[in-house]
Amino acid sequence: MKTLLALVVAVPAVCFAQAPIIEISGATFRPMPLAVARPLTQDEGAKKRAAEFDEAFFFDMSACGLFQTLDRKSYLGDAKEGITSASTNFGNWGNIGAEALVKTQLASEGDVLIAELRLFNVASGKEDLKTSGRISGKDTRRLAHQLANAVYKYFTKETGPFETKIAWARKTPNGKDVYVSDWDGHNPVAISTGNINLLPALNPDGVQVAFTSYKRGKPDIYVSRAGGSPTVLVAAGRMATGLAYSPDGKRIAYSLAEGESAQIFVANADGSGPKQLTSTPYFINSSPSWSPDGKRLAFVSNRGGSPQVYVMSAEGGEAKRLTFQGNYNQTPEWSPRGDLIAFTARDERNAFDLFTVNVESGKVTRLTQDNANNEEPSFSPNGRLILFTSTRAGAPSLYVMTFDGNNQVALPMEKGSYTTPDWGP
Amino acid sequence: MGASSGKGAPGRTTLSEINVTPMVDVMLVLLIIFMVTAPLIQQGVKVNLPDAKAAPVEAKEKKVVLSVDVKKRIYIGEVEVALPELEEKLKTNAKVQADKELYLHADRDVPYGVVVEVMAAAQRAGVPNVGMITDPFGGPKTSKDKKTP
Repeated sequence: MKTLLALVVAVPAVCFAQAPIIEISGATFRPMPLAVARPLTQDEGAKKRAAEFDEAFFFDMSACGLFQTLDRKSYLGDAKEGITSASTNFGNWGNIGAEALVKTQLASEGDVLIAELRLFNVASGKEDLKTSGRISGKDTRRLAHQLANAVYKYFTKETGPFETKIAWARKTPNGKDVYVSDWDGHNPVAISTGNINLLPALNPDGVQVAFTSYKRGKPDIYVSRAGGSPTVLVAAGRMATGLAYSPDGKRIAYSLAEGESAQIFVANADGSGPKQLTSTPYFINSSPSWSPDGKRLAFVSNRGGSPQVYVMSAEGGEAKRLTFQGNYNQTPEWSPRGDLIAFTARDERNAFDLFTVNVESGKVTRLTQDNANNEEPSFSPNGRLILFTSTRAGAPSLYVMTFDGNNQVALPMEKGSYTTPDWGP
Repeated sequence: MGASSGKGAPGRTTLSEINVTPMVDVMLVLLIIFMVTAPLIQQGVKVNLPDAKAAPVEAKEKKVVLSVDVKKRIYIGEVEVALPELEEKLKTNAKVQADKELYLHADRDVPYGVVVEVMAAAQRAGVPNVGMITDPFGGPKTSKDKKTP
C-alpha cells in the first residue's frame, strides 16, 4: 500500500481518477492483498450458477499477478455482509490484511444472468469501482471474465487478458489434437483431431488458427478459419512447421525444409508470395516469432554450432545473435511490449527452463528454476503474463506466470498432457 | 601420555594405563551440549510480560487484536471465533502471518488457562509475538471492555 499511496500522491495531477495504477515491474513490486468475497445471490437461478462464476472470477484474480488473493478461510464475519459499503465492516477486512475488497452479487432473469461488482478500498472504506454485466445463455464464466477485466483495467489502465483465447495441443493415445480454449483452459473447442497436430498459432484477427499436422505423412501447415474444417496453407518441401502470424495478422513466418535443412520463410497470410529469408545450407533455422512492430523476426539457428536465438529483419538480411549463454536455446517468443524475448534454455543440469533476454541490452533473466522442465513460453496480448508448459506435476501441463517469473499458477484443466501453447487475442 | 619415557627401544613400550584425556575431552563437550540444549527442551508458552512502568507503545499500524471477554468468548477484531477454529483463522490470515504478531486483550476475570489456550493456538499458527494489552491507568473494573488500542 505504501507504494500505491506514493503513486496516489504523485500522480493525481496526471490522472484525475485518483486510482492507483499498479505498475507490474521492478524489484519493489508487491502484489496487492485482495479479498474476493463469495458472490451474493438473489434467487435460486443465480445460486446454481454462483459456484461457476466464483471459480472463474477467483482464478482470474489469483492468476493475473496483480493481486495476492487472500485465503477465504481467514475471512471474518463475511457471511452477514451485503454488497454495499454501509453493510460492510471494513475493520474485519483490514484485520485479515486486505487492502482491496471485491464484492459481487448475482441475479437471474430466466436465462439471463446479471452480475453486479463493487470494488472497495479497505483502508478508507470508499467504493472505488461499481460495474455490472449481464449475459444470456450458459456462458457464466464469460461474465466472470468480463467483470475481472473491469477490475484489471481499474488498477492497470490496460485491457486485461481474461477474455482472450489460447490454443494448445493435447496428447491422445494416437497422436495430438489441437484445441482453442478460454485463457484459463476452460471451454475447449477442437480444431483438428486425429493424427498428430501441434504448434497452433492464433491469428490476431481472432478467426484463423494455423497449426502443423502430419495428416499427409509429413509436417505441413494447415489453417482453420472460424472453426471450419482445416485446409492446407503451406505444404511445400520436405516439412513445413512452426508458423507465426505477424502482429497485424496479414503475414506469416514459418520454417520450411526443402533440402537438408529448414529455412525461415515469410509469406502473406493466405500463403501466397513466399520469400526465403535465411540461406544456410548446412544449418537449421526455425521457430520464428515477430516483433510487435512486425519489422523483425526472432528465430532459432544452429549456425554457430548450437541452437541459439537470432534476430533479423523481416525483409531478410543479416541475422544478429542474441543469446550467448548456454548451449541449447530455443522457442523464442517476442513480448508484445517489444523489450523482451522469452525462450527455453537447457541449463547446466540438463533441465529446460524459461528465460527472457532484453532485445537491446542482451541481458538474460531467469524465470523458472528447480521445477522440472519448463518450456514453450507464449506472451499474453498485453505482455504481462507468460503461458508455458511445465512437467513439475508429472505430464506436461499449462501454467501462467508474470513476465518476470512470479506467481506461477497451473491452469485448472482436466488431467492430460498439454504442449505447444499459444496465447492469442 | 603419548610420549614414551625414553627407556627401551622406541615403539616397544607397553601402555599399562587407560589414556583418560580423550575421554575427559568428550565428556566436557557433551556437558556443554547438554547445558546449551537443556533450556530449549523446557515446554511452555512464551509470554511477553507487560511492564507496567514502560511507556505505552505507540502503534503505527493497526494490529490484529484478539479479545477474550469474561464469558470466555474469543474475538478476532469484532468477530467471534470458536477456539477450535482459532488456529486455522490465524494461520490463513495474511496480515497476522506478515506481521508475525498479535495483541491479546483479555478480561481480567478470564481464567489464566483460557488465556494460555488462546496464546498456544496463536503459537501453533506461527505467531511468535503475542503482545498483552494492559490498562496503563489501572482503569475501572468492568468485565465487558473490548476497545481496541
